[in-house]
Amino acid sequence: MQEEYKKSILDKLADKIVYGLGSFISLFKKGWKEKNKSKMEEWRLMLYALNRSPPALIGLFLVILFILVGIFGPRLAHWRYNFFPMLYTKSYDKIILAPPGSKFVLDYYNNTVITFPLGSDHYGRDLLSLILSGARTSFVISIIVISLGVPLGILLGLIAGYYGGKVDELIMRITDMFLAFPALILAIALSAVLPERIQNFISTHEAVQKFVLWLFALDVREAGNLGRLLAVILAMIIVWWPAYARITRGSTLTEKEKLYIEAARAIGLPARTIMFKHILPNIIGPILVYITLDFGGVILMEAGLSFLGLGATPPIADWGRIVYDGAQYFPKAWWLVFYPGLVVMLVALGWNLLGDGLRDILDPKTRRSIEFKVKKSKKEGEANA
Amino acid sequence: MEKVLEVKHLKKYFPVKGLFFTKGWVKAVDDISFEIYKGETFGLVGESGCGKTTTGRTILRLIEPTAGEILFEGKNVMELKGDELKWFRRKAQIMFQDPYSSLNPRQTVFEIIMEPVRFHGIEVDDPEEFVVNLLKSVGLNEMHLYRYPHEFSGGQRQRIALARIMALKPEFIVLDEPTSALDVSVQANILNTLKDLQEKHGFTYLFISHDLGVVKYMSHRMGVMYLGKLVEVGPADKIFENPLHPYTQMLLSAIPVPDPEMAKELKAKRKIVRGEPPSPINPPAGCRFHPRCPFAKDVCRKEEPPMVEVEKDHHVACWLYAKS
Amino acid sequence: MPEPILQVRNLTVHFYTYAGIVKAIERVSFDVYRGETFALVGETGCGKSVTSRALTQLIESPGRIVEGEVLYHKEDGTVVDLLKLNEEQIREIRGNEIAYIFQDPHASLDPLYTVGYQIGEAMEVHGKVESIKEGIKKAVDILRSVLIPDPENRVKNYPHELSGGMKQRVVIGIGIANNPKILIADEPTTALDVTVQAQILDLINQLKEKYKATVILITHNLGVVAETADRVAVMYAGKIVEIGSVEQIFKNPLHPYTKGLLKAVPNPMTKIERLEAIPGTVPNLITPPSGCRFHPRCPFATEVCKRKVPELKEMEDGHFVACHLY
Repeated sequence: MQEEYKKSILDKLADKIVYGLGSFISLFKKGWKEKNKSKMEEWRLMLYALNRSPPALIGLFLVILFILVGIFGPRLAHWRYNFFPMLYTKSYDKIILAPPGSKFVLDYYNNTVITFPLGSDHYGRDLLSLILSGARTSFVISIIVISLGVPLGILLGLIAGYYGGKVDELIMRITDMFLAFPALILAIALSAVLPERIQNFISTHEAVQKFVLWLFALDVREAGNLGRLLAVILAMIIVWWPAYARITRGSTLTEKEKLYIEAARAIGLPARTIMFKHILPNIIGPILVYITLDFGGVILMEAGLSFLGLGATPPIADWGRIVYDGAQYFPKAWWLVFYPGLVVMLVALGWNLLGDGLRDILDPKTRRSIEFKVKKSKKEGEANA
Repeated sequence: MEKVLEVKHLKKYFPVKGLFFTKGWVKAVDDISFEIYKGETFGLVGESGCGKTTTGRTILRLIEPTAGEILFEGKNVMELKGDELKWFRRKAQIMFQDPYSSLNPRQTVFEIIMEPVRFHGIEVDDPEEFVVNLLKSVGLNEMHLYRYPHEFSGGQRQRIALARIMALKPEFIVLDEPTSALDVSVQANILNTLKDLQEKHGFTYLFISHDLGVVKYMSHRMGVMYLGKLVEVGPADKIFENPLHPYTQMLLSAIPVPDPEMAKELKAKRKIVRGEPPSPINPPAGCRFHPRCPFAKDVCRKEEPPMVEVEKDHHVACWLYAKS
Repeated sequence: MPEPILQVRNLTVHFYTYAGIVKAIERVSFDVYRGETFALVGETGCGKSVTSRALTQLIESPGRIVEGEVLYHKEDGTVVDLLKLNEEQIREIRGNEIAYIFQDPHASLDPLYTVGYQIGEAMEVHGKVESIKEGIKKAVDILRSVLIPDPENRVKNYPHELSGGMKQRVVIGIGIANNPKILIADEPTTALDVTVQAQILDLINQLKEKYKATVILITHNLGVVAETADRVAVMYAGKIVEIGSVEQIFKNPLHPYTKGLLKAVPNPMTKIERLEAIPGTVPNLITPPSGCRFHPRCPFATEVCKRKVPELKEMEDGHFVACHLY
């Protein structure tokens, strides 16, 4: 009977996605679809909730766009980040800081015409291509920082919260030490100290070097700059985990008092199983929201550090770095600050909108209210007919 | 008769933390001894804060006792390690009071029941059939297999918890106020199921409750607790017919009976029910009940009464029956 | 012929929640006589608390009193419909002529004020004393009347300095401070231990005699009902299924639900071989069963029970039942 509700196209799409996914999993695990009806129903309601929140949809759209550009950006870019058109033209001084929309002929490059839709930077490079290439830098950095820093924080928080006592004291005092420094200052200090050692490591391990270059879609020529880039990443991981240790510990403390945890102990389950199978799944909701919001935070901080001259060095394309370099020519070459700034803002906004939306979607109460509203709209539809 | 559980001089003190030092101790359980025989239900009654729940949890080693010995089938529970501890965790189970938080909200009924089974390496040919049979034995059915706890009512959740316990084929189950969060009509259902299962599988129960009617209905023998002490132990019928300890007498005369005529009778002969249990942080010296006891003598204020057997199997800790 | 003090007619309260309209109570009617103890019994969610609160419009959003009247017979002989009064007028009656005692004494007292202040404040609001200061002096007498030892010093205590039973006595003290005509006690002993419960019930009885008040007792505990009530109304799923004197209800229950309930409670003073349970669970009040709301769990249900809502019928003197069997 639930199939009769009045649904929007998006709701129907959500149904298709959930049932499709269910059938897909059933291909590998027989009977999965039948066994997980309740789970699929929850997923459907979550998607319905998402469909009813325009800000979250906008956020999702921006985030998906960012991820796609992050993956394919360097290929979409018309010019490589280290292509300097000024080297191929007679009017090289005009190419530097060319305003948006200007066109030039590259005399020494088969007379190709180069257009700068968003203008060019102070090396005369195409700003649009730089922004597209820079998406990869931001994307990879945010993924690395979150995927290493967050699990570390969650792990320490779980251990501290579950065992309590001296273990808790030790872990939390260390966490406090890190939290006592303003994150940005700590990151600045670390990114100033770390680069040389990392550079040494990188240059002696060729495989690592190749992998990192591939990740960031960089040329071998940039190998010498990787140290600074990785130093910033490491610095951010170090400042990122304490917040997660804190929130995880807090939720663990409340969750471990619940009876089902005691029931698990009475059965004899080991601490590891209780922590990861019983506590973690039940506290992960709010942490997920936090992670989503933090993706924006990492991108902002990375841009901020680059703006301070740390991390990526030219010619590596990086949004923060472009703004940093462009600031000298502001307001004359306004586009150098405006476009990368706008992109950083949109991406951060996207993650934040998605995070806020997720908070509502993961709350079972909102889901129930959606269920109710869907039913109600069905009744009203009947009344009108 | 075979003893399943023997508790000897069990003590559990909780520290009361001050700013820097431990300010004092809550003597939640203070030197209690009793035994439970195979196949019986031992009821443990008392008012809130008397230590009955702490006793149940300490027996299962969910809380470490301060002192005392717990023997389960002759083995000292506190010294169990490795495989023996795993065996104990399988044979001794607990059912909790609050059905709303005793099940993991992220697991389906199937997972909830199968997890302990897998952990204890119990071999099952067809897990689905195994779980369905268990569900049927507690009054649920196969439709409930892949549902989540929030889709069930309180009574149904207690049945799921019971099925999880049954899956391990335990011998001894601590029932910690299993029906106090439920409505009377549902309570009767669960109590009957528990009784039927005991008859069928020979379970031994430790039934903890503050509801005397329920304890009377369920128990063969029972103990009455007051402020961390066991004041009276004996066959349930005898205690209800002929309560010896003044506290038991007070407790029995205070219960409201669901029968207006009997209530009038009882009210007329109701002993003075007075006072409230004092804080267990600084319990009264001597017999802990003396400030509320209508028969308190000098000796009661000074010395703790020993447990004496007044009639067969009926023990009481009161100076009215002991010689000083 | 006993004289009614409260006549409730067709009281209906709905809650407009996100999950749907909860029909908490539906066309509930009963009389309460002057000077008696009238008990409303039923299980969780049967609407007994909602009924007691609706009497003085104490229903908060998202709840709404949809229809019905509550006729209150004042001592001077005038009759008012409590549901027609405005906010100001009902406040004059609530806490003054009709007082409440709620279940949880810990939550009913403000931890920031002394108990004396809280009693004084209740009196000052209704103009029984000139100032709170004078009220605090009067509070000593009130604490004495609710049998709190050493009332002179207790007046200065904060709620956390008192035990659960003492707190409930203070709450009762606040309730009777203005000498109410009707005292509505909503599960007054559920949060307390048995020995304390017995003392509180005795106290309520004594005060009822002393102040010649009428008590409306809301409880799920049939033992408490048997011990204290004169007349009883049994509620199930938002409807009253049976009304009668305590003897009629306990000795000669007519409604299958009342019968089942009585058989499901273990009486500690008798030997019971086996309790009889009522099959099934309490229905969801968003979509209650059609006809008689008990029919899905009733062993005697017939076709008519599914179709028609049974009305209360008088079977013997003062004994009403809503069931198609009769």
